[in-house]
Amino acid sequence: MAREVQSANLNQTRREFLGASGALGLAVAGALSGWGALEVLVPPGTADAWHRSVCRYCGTGCTIRVGLRQGKITDVRGDEDGHNQGVICVKGSMLVALPYLPGRLTKPRIRTNGHLREATWDEAMTLVAEQFRQAIQTHGADSVAFYGSGQLFSEESYTANKLFKAGIGTNNVDGNPRLCMSSAASGYTQTFGKDEPCGSYADMDHADCFFLMGSNLFECHPPIFERLQRRRRLHPTTQVICVDPRRTPTAARSDIHLQVVPGTDLLLLNAMAQVICADKLYDQDFITEHVRFSDGDQTVTFEDFQTFLADYTPEKVATEVGVSAADIRKVAYLFARSPATMSPWTMGVNQRTQGVFLNNMLSGLHLITSQICRPGATPLSMTGQANACGGVRDTGALAHALPGGRLVTNEKDRREMEELWQVPPGRISSQPGLDALNLFRAMEDGRVQAALVMCTNPAQTLPAVGRYRKAMEKCFLVVSDAFEDSETERLAKVLLPAALWVEKEGVYGQTERRYQLIQKLLTPPGEARSDLQILVDLAGRLGHGDLIKARTPEVVWDEWRQVSAHSKYNFAGITYTRLRQRPGLQWPCPTEDSPGTVRRYVGGDDPLVTPGKKVEFYGHPDHKAVVFLRPYVRAPEYSTAAFPYILTTGRVLEQWHSGTMTGRIPELAQASGPARLHLNDQDAYREQIRHGDRVEVQSRFGKITGQAVVDPAVRQGVLFVAFYDAKLLINEVVADHCDPVSRQPEYKVTAVAIRKLTSAA
Amino acid sequence: MNTLLSLVPEAFETIVRILGALLCLGGIGICLRLLFIRETDMAEGRFVRRAHVNLPTVEYYKLMAFAGLLALPVAAALVANYHVFEGVHEVSACGQCHVMRPMMNDLRDPNSQTLAARHFQNKLIPEQQCYNCHADYGFRGSLEAKMDGYRHLARYVTGTNTEPIRFRGIFDNHNCLRCHQGTAKFVRVASHHTVAAHLETSEMSCLNCHGKAHPSRGQRTPGSPDYERLMAKEAG
Repeated sequence: MAREVQSANLNQTRREFLGASGALGLAVAGALSGWGALEVLVPPGTADAWHRSVCRYCGTGCTIRVGLRQGKITDVRGDEDGHNQGVICVKGSMLVALPYLPGRLTKPRIRTNGHLREATWDEAMTLVAEQFRQAIQTHGADSVAFYGSGQLFSEESYTANKLFKAGIGTNNVDGNPRLCMSSAASGYTQTFGKDEPCGSYADMDHADCFFLMGSNLFECHPPIFERLQRRRRLHPTTQVICVDPRRTPTAARSDIHLQVVPGTDLLLLNAMAQVICADKLYDQDFITEHVRFSDGDQTVTFEDFQTFLADYTPEKVATEVGVSAADIRKVAYLFARSPATMSPWTMGVNQRTQGVFLNNMLSGLHLITSQICRPGATPLSMTGQANACGGVRDTGALAHALPGGRLVTNEKDRREMEELWQVPPGRISSQPGLDALNLFRAMEDGRVQAALVMCTNPAQTLPAVGRYRKAMEKCFLVVSDAFEDSETERLAKVLLPAALWVEKEGVYGQTERRYQLIQKLLTPPGEARSDLQILVDLAGRLGHGDLIKARTPEVVWDEWRQVSAHSKYNFAGITYTRLRQRPGLQWPCPTEDSPGTVRRYVGGDDPLVTPGKKVEFYGHPDHKAVVFLRPYVRAPEYSTAAFPYILTTGRVLEQWHSGTMTGRIPELAQASGPARLHLNDQDAYREQIRHGDRVEVQSRFGKITGQAVVDPAVRQGVLFVAFYDAKLLINEVVADHCDPVSRQPEYKVTAVAIRKLTSAA
Repeated sequence: MNTLLSLVPEAFETIVRILGALLCLGGIGICLRLLFIRETDMAEGRFVRRAHVNLPTVEYYKLMAFAGLLALPVAAALVANYHVFEGVHEVSACGQCHVMRPMMNDLRDPNSQTLAARHFQNKLIPEQQCYNCHADYGFRGSLEAKMDGYRHLARYVTGTNTEPIRFRGIFDNHNCLRCHQGTAKFVRVASHHTVAAHLETSEMSCLNCHGKAHPSRGQRTPGSPDYERLMAKEAG
């Protein structure tokens, strides 16, 4: 019986075992197929493939990831491994809409009988080449010009510079960086012997004191401000000093806000230097080893410097600067005594008739206090545009410059470039070309007959723009742009449709000497071409095809990086292959195994520093940096009975430059709203202006009307207007006085009068 | 008293675990018993007496089959699901997978400035830190999150995941908006209003402007300078 049961049980067990095995198999298969199904079914997020790129807009140069699905951009995210550590701003977030905005130019257009009509590329380029050739033959090479942009790729600016300077034979190559970075470039060159900063964004993680002068980081470089805030959160004793006539969002978040009178900040810097010297807050050893003093013409002593500063005691300057002497002393002490002080600055310093002097003095303060070449201690000029540094300053695509910090007026520099470009000696003109304002002035009197304008909108961005718009009408103006209907395009004789951002390939170089690659991810709309293709085409038609042999981005880049190896800008080791693998590299980077340079002039970091040296300012022959004695001169525009207010201009967070791109994106346009005239409540009361009233603003240069906003953030006596809105073309009013060295216009100080027109409804 | 109260959730969790295990064992026991049924056991007229109740064997085994094949498994599944949904609330549950160690270590790193660490440092979320921002994995979360959670599990168990792990899918912005939307700080940012539709659908990530939530993929890649620190075992 027992055996029967056992047998029966065993039989049962075997069958059931098989059944159970089957069931188990089914369960496993089910689990696996469930997993398999989920691998397919779980949505892959907002994009199928992600590509590293760079934001199209400001000089922060944020590393981003562009998400594609079915050949279309479906998402843009900050790259967490980039210098910005994943942070971008709302403009960058809306890049997803940029290539698909309405109003893209898709075909060349030629102006006939006052109207732009569509044409073929051949037709348009034949006309352009014919007009350029005719101007050169009739009026000489200097009758043509190139006006570029800090938003072109480096390969494009390099090619344009080479075509015009070594091919056509004119140094009339300039661009919008003249309007935003020129004073910084000249300042660095005078002080350190070479352009471009010594510090990096990484210094923000170590600074104990931030001296923000003429910089509204919060709105103009938001990811950098976020990095500053990260430092403050980790290191709550960090002090942030903001010098600005407006209580900007940056000033409101600072520990100390010096609300200065526009145009007086060289007084402030000199007074700070005076306190530092009088109270012996300087670093004598560093000065002895690394610093030379100069009055601009000849070398002077440290004692001469101190004597010069005697006129700038805080008590003497306080009233004119508009802040208290105690505050000036406090700031000077914080600057000098903090373990590490960093000074990021932007247009408030550069867009000034004393822009270069201000740059000199800011770097000078860092030099005498040895707040330089250490983690967290550095002056750092923040770039305005994404490729003003790499594309224009480094390639020397400015009227006075040649690649790698060379000058057209220096014969040795010219010979070097002629050899590198393989053109006969003497091909490059020794005459500096026309800087931005002089270039457009030359259109007035016919000295410039034909000009190629690429990737910029001077009819909105030049100061005293009314005058220059009229000048542009007289010139054969060829405009290459991605969108139709910009202010400049209305004046164009030929309009060329340009590829935009990821519709082409090239390198962007931002503030901290970092070069990053933008890969081509999209096909340009219609017949649009990259600016490089346009330049190569023009070169061929003008008979310079042999000079412009590099015709694709990577080949141009390879030529340019090999050229750089013959200068202190050496980045021969930054190849496309390396850039494809990482979020950029900082030069100097002479070899392909070099990790790049975070801090320039610092031994162990910068490969160009003599081994064994801790700090070496190798830009000047004596390996010293120069501290200049820079006297304050009152701005040409100042408050008078007829023009009692000082107009200053700037940006807002949601808009980029003249709004050609961001102004078309509804989310950004709605957030910023139309530009308005911001005036202080006391001034509003005096002028009997209420919020929303229509007012007229008049300067010696022009007048406009717009809507007033009563805004206590603006200093009394100051009027602020952002320049992104073509409907409130504030540059009609802005003065076109220039810094005599950098030729950068003073956008920040224009004397104006305000008059109420009609009351708000 | 406080100490006692603080023990309650843990004790409750233990009870739930024991209950789930008992239900599973019960179900397995009944299934095994059913495997050993002989034909003679099912003969007509035989009764089974359990706790003063006499049941015909056929009905008895039907009841056992119902209990063993349906009722207990369903009950066990419910308890298990409850346990999982409750369990994922705890940071320790996430930390059981070693690929999550970087997130755990970073969360508690006083020098980190990731959003997770800042929320932790500022004590904005006193407990269940992972779950508070990843509520989709919880009971009320989306089916999508459950599907992806199962996929993560399958990948992890089969060892087919690679480091650094990458979040697939769309992080639901409501995890952020739940607390931040409507606050004065949120409302006064003009662009929050104009991109509201993109935030609502999570097409635009909050992280774009507000920084990374956890260590980056580069930091979590084996061989990176931060890798060893982030993978240190004391996390959990």
